[in-house]
Formats: sequence, C-alpha cells, structure tokens
Amino acid sequence: MREIVSAVLVLIGALFMFLAGVGIVRMPDLYTRMSATTKVATLGVGSTLLAVAVYFNELGITSRALATIAFVLLTAPVAAHMIGRAAYFTGVPLWEGTVLDELRGHYNLHTHELESVCFSDLELHLPNIQISKFRIPDLSPVAGKTLAQIELRRKYDVTLLAIRRGSLVLSNPDGNVQLFAGDELILIGLPDKLDEVTGLFRSTRKEVVEGLL
Amino acid sequence: MSLQDLVLLLVLPLLSLAVVLAFVRLVRGPSLPDRVVALDLIATLVMGIIAVYAIARNQPVLLDVAIVLALLSFLGTVAFARYLERSI
Repeated sequence: MREIVSAVLVLIGALFMFLAGVGIVRMPDLYTRMSATTKVATLGVGSTLLAVAVYFNELGITSRALATIAFVLLTAPVAAHMIGRAAYFTGVPLWEGTVLDELRGHYNLHTHELESVCFSDLELHLPNIQISKFRIPDLSPVAGKTLAQIELRRKYDVTLLAIRRGSLVLSNPDGNVQLFAGDELILIGLPDKLDEVTGLFRSTRKEVVEGLL
Repeated sequence: MSLQDLVLLLVLPLLSLAVVLAFVRLVRGPSLPDRVVALDLIATLVMGIIAVYAIARNQPVLLDVAIVLALLSFLGTVAFARYLERSI
C-alpha cells in the first residue's frame, strides 16, 4: 500500500517536473517561462519528496523531507521574484502578445525604485489637501468663460491641475483656456474650498453668475 | 513492476529529459536572466532526481544532499539576481 501511494506521488512529481522542462523551452518570454519553472517544478519536487517520506516511513526521514518541502516552498517565490525584478529592470523584453504591463513608466531605471505618485499617495503626504474631479454641467455659469475670467486661484484658493475634454487632456491650463460644458476638471485645494467652487459651478442662479464674474 | 523498476525505467529518464530541455534553454538564452532561470530549474530537477534515486537505491541518506542543493541553489539564484541589478 505504501509503495503504491509512493509510486503515484513519484509519477505525479516526475510528470510535473517534465512539464517544467517543456515549459522553459516552449514559453515565449522570460516571465512566462518563470511561471512554468517556479510553480510547476516546485510542485513536482514537493510531490517527489513526499513520496520519499511515504516510502521510507521513518520519523527522521519524514521530518527531513517535510523540512525540505517547506524550504523549497518558501524560497522558490523569493528567488523567482528577485530574478523577475532584475530581469524587468535590465530590460528583458515582454512577449509581444502581452496585454498589460502595469509597471511601465512607474519605475526609475537608475535607482531601481518604484515610483507610485498617484492621487491617493499625494493625499497621504498632504493630509489636508483634497484632489477632486468635477464635471461641468450643461447650464453652468462658467461654461464659455476663460480661466482668467473665473480667477479660481485668487478668489477661491483652488488650483486647476488639468482639464479632460473628451479624449483630450489639457494639463496646467493657462488663463486663455476656455471652459465648456462637459469638461472634466481636476481640482486641488482644501475640502471646503473645493465644495464652494463646485457648488458655484453647478448653480444656475443669476446672482451667483454675477458674483462670480 | 516494483517501485524501484518504475523509478529506474520511467521516472529517471523523464527527469533526465527535463534536464536536457532546461539545458537547451541554458544554451539558447537569449538573455542572462533566462539562463539564471534555467540553472535554477536544473537545480530543482536534480533535487527531484536525488529524491527518486534515494528510493531506487533504498538509501535515505541521499536526502541530505537534496537539502544542501536546495540551500545552495537558492543562494546562487539570489546572488545572480543581485548581480543582474548591479547592486553588489
């Protein structure tokens, strides 16, 4: 009985390790090859070591086999991560069929540091400041006005970072840029100031329009 | 067919073939990380070969070799990765 269990485990392990060999030859780029070698080969070697533990059925050997399995399970992901990271930083190309490369543009080639300046991080660094997105409604009093006429920064202490107009993005717009209904504004400022500005932009009451200009 | 026969006739040839395939990748590259991955895989495969050979020859002592090989291959891979990043 022990021998049968052991034989099955050895066969499973050998099959997986052979598949790892096939994978490293057949896969199209380094990263997919690593996926084949680390996961499949680790599973294969684990199964084989388990077969050894079952076959000999002694406390000393079983504990050694289990310790080796645990060690391999712990170190294989670490080693794979380090090689993958080093390969990405040294510019090993991805397969041309790759759909998503989330690291692109987010790391520094010289210091090898990951830069992730996104809005949520910025808000961590500047706890009082809020960044918000606001879409100008159809009857907004600011539609058709230029930024110089609205004077966001001087009157409301709010800075306009960028305007998104359809697929177009205007970053750091100057005073001559005209706003239109449907534009998406990325605004930065204190939360209550932002609320004030967005409230004014939404309003269609005449006195607000007069006050704004 | 005993377990020893199964290991000697089927499993060891299969694993040897896997080592040959990994060696093909080691020779072809094309980049250095590809070769490091191939070396890492060869070390893992040799660990498997040692384990099944321990069964085939009924020598549990050989398992210690597999443990040492696991330690050394991990250290080697980490050293290679550090070298690739030029940070040593």
